[in-house]
Amino acid sequence: MTVLVQARAVARRYGEVEALAPTDVELSAGETVALVGPNGAGKSTLLALLAGALEPSDGAVESSVRVGWVPQRPAHYARLTARENLELFARLEGVSDARATAQELLTRFSLPTDARASGELSVGNRQRLNVALALLGEPRVLLLDEPTAALDPGQRRRVWEVVDALRGDGGAVCFATQNLEEVEHADRVLVLLDGRVVPTTPEEVFG
Amino acid sequence: MSAVFLLLRKDLTVLRRSPLLLGALLAYPIVIALLVGLVAGYASSKPRVAYVDEDDVPAVVQVAGQSFHVQSIIDEVSQNVTLVPMSRDEAKRELASGKVVATITVPPGFVGALETTAESPSLVLQTGSGAVAPRVTQQVQALVYRLNRQLQGVFIKANLVFVRLILHGGSGSFLGQPFTVLGLDRTGKLLAAMPQSKRVKTIRHFISTARAGLARTGTALQATAHPIELRQPKAKGRSWLLSAQVQSYGIALTVTFLALLLAAGAAAAERDEGTIGRLRRGLVSLGQLVWSKVALAAVVGLALGGAIAIMFGVVAEVGGVTGGEPWSRLPLLLVGIALAAAVVGAAGALLGALAREARTASLLAVLVVLPVVFLGLVPREAVSFAWWVSEFLPFAHAVRWFGAALYDTNPWRTVGVETLWLLGIGLVLGALARLAMRRLAA
Repeated sequence: MTVLVQARAVARRYGEVEALAPTDVELSAGETVALVGPNGAGKSTLLALLAGALEPSDGAVESSVRVGWVPQRPAHYARLTARENLELFARLEGVSDARATAQELLTRFSLPTDARASGELSVGNRQRLNVALALLGEPRVLLLDEPTAALDPGQRRRVWEVVDALRGDGGAVCFATQNLEEVEHADRVLVLLDGRVVPTTPEEVFG
Repeated sequence: MSAVFLLLRKDLTVLRRSPLLLGALLAYPIVIALLVGLVAGYASSKPRVAYVDEDDVPAVVQVAGQSFHVQSIIDEVSQNVTLVPMSRDEAKRELASGKVVATITVPPGFVGALETTAESPSLVLQTGSGAVAPRVTQQVQALVYRLNRQLQGVFIKANLVFVRLILHGGSGSFLGQPFTVLGLDRTGKLLAAMPQSKRVKTIRHFISTARAGLARTGTALQATAHPIELRQPKAKGRSWLLSAQVQSYGIALTVTFLALLLAAGAAAAERDEGTIGRLRRGLVSLGQLVWSKVALAAVVGLALGGAIAIMFGVVAEVGGVTGGEPWSRLPLLLVGIALAAAVVGAAGALLGALAREARTASLLAVLVVLPVVFLGLVPREAVSFAWWVSEFLPFAHAVRWFGAALYDTNPWRTVGVETLWLLGIGLVLGALARLAMRRLAA
């Protein structure tokens, strides 16, 4: 299988605190990987490193394709509308028709098209916008940090449809979760504990 | 469109949608500028001075046979100090409590000494220990100078009465004693009627010379009393509110305050909103992020600074005041405003990156901006260390840039030097901000 993203001995420290010990991760075409672990295990740090949103203290991350990232906390400009956020990031991503792309994502994720600032939207709408922003530029790899935490069942299903479609299309997905039911969407599970990948099962970690 | 432009447009949209913040950002520096102006204006305000009259000075005093109007002198002096009549004890209390900054006492016997001109009468000045004491002393010295000038005029007039008596003859009095003088004119006539011996001719020649000389006594006495006369013709000019210095400080203060707060807040907000991570994923480099905040500061600083400059220009135009070139130099001034705002914006980006949180960044910016501004207000002669520190900060250079652009006949040398300073400071601050952005993104 083609490796789309490869992290080699990637590590992250905050001063004396080691958030992630040197870790090797590969994401290959057509696979979905679940990152499981308790709070503070290093899941978000690993995803941010894979996404290029965070600089590693050691090691390196290589990617041959465009990567989409859904951070745990919605990351968009609260004073801009959902459309304005999508158009802005589409232009920054270099999408040719930013306006049309934004409209397509607004429709696809049932996002409000009125003049409300995105900071005034419901938690669920903000999370949907968060996911929609990650899909700008048609990424081949999608990294999702607890993407369904604030979504209703219908919206969760839609997110998994997106994940399945990308995988079916030869892309790769890596998602972090604390919900063991969601692990069934994954082909492979990585368990993180205290900043290290450990050879165990999620059931053992969560007791 | 470049990433810098896209982020700039986003920041301007965000700013436009925060009317309260925008209003505060606009109002606060203007209020501060006005307060600084008021403090500056205090330099020309009238201190309150107690006037203790222990000699019952009448409204008019006869000095050397001339009327000396004390009240008109007091009215004239009141243009500089507010003289408040009070008793000796009251004045002592008010000086101790700081309600008056000084007391001027007219001691007993003052008028008598003045009228007889037998000895110089004294006024007693007591000042408090406050910072304004030297200024009050100067103003009271000015008061005594004015009194002496008035008295000189009176004495010259009295002396000229005696000179006229010597010239033309007549009756007069001295120290209350009446006397009659023949005068040179009548003496000359009497001599002309006498047989013209050599001795008489000599006396007539002396009288003729004396008359010619005494005829110029008035001018000579005036010249002796005032070797150099200071003339102060009334002319149209800018009030302190419109002075070049106040305009320069006003614009520089507004631009510095606005640019620093805005850039600091906008930089830190990228982390608050979590967007720094998204941007870092190859969409925007850290350098571009710094540039976008610098551009934001420059654009908003230019808009507000330009508006204030235009406001000053309109006031100058409507007021018909002369001096300076509010319109022809406006483009040059706008270039300076944009440059200064951009440099301050780099400082703001640095603060925002270090603070990592918008609220902390705003507080930090306020804490930093005030000393930066006040250091720039310190004259070199006052505290040279503070002056040197301010040389490495943008505010003082911005003030000089604006002042030169507005009022120097040939501003190019100052503008060139200050541009180099601002560019140098801006490059250093920008490089530091670029480094600090790594911390913001961490």
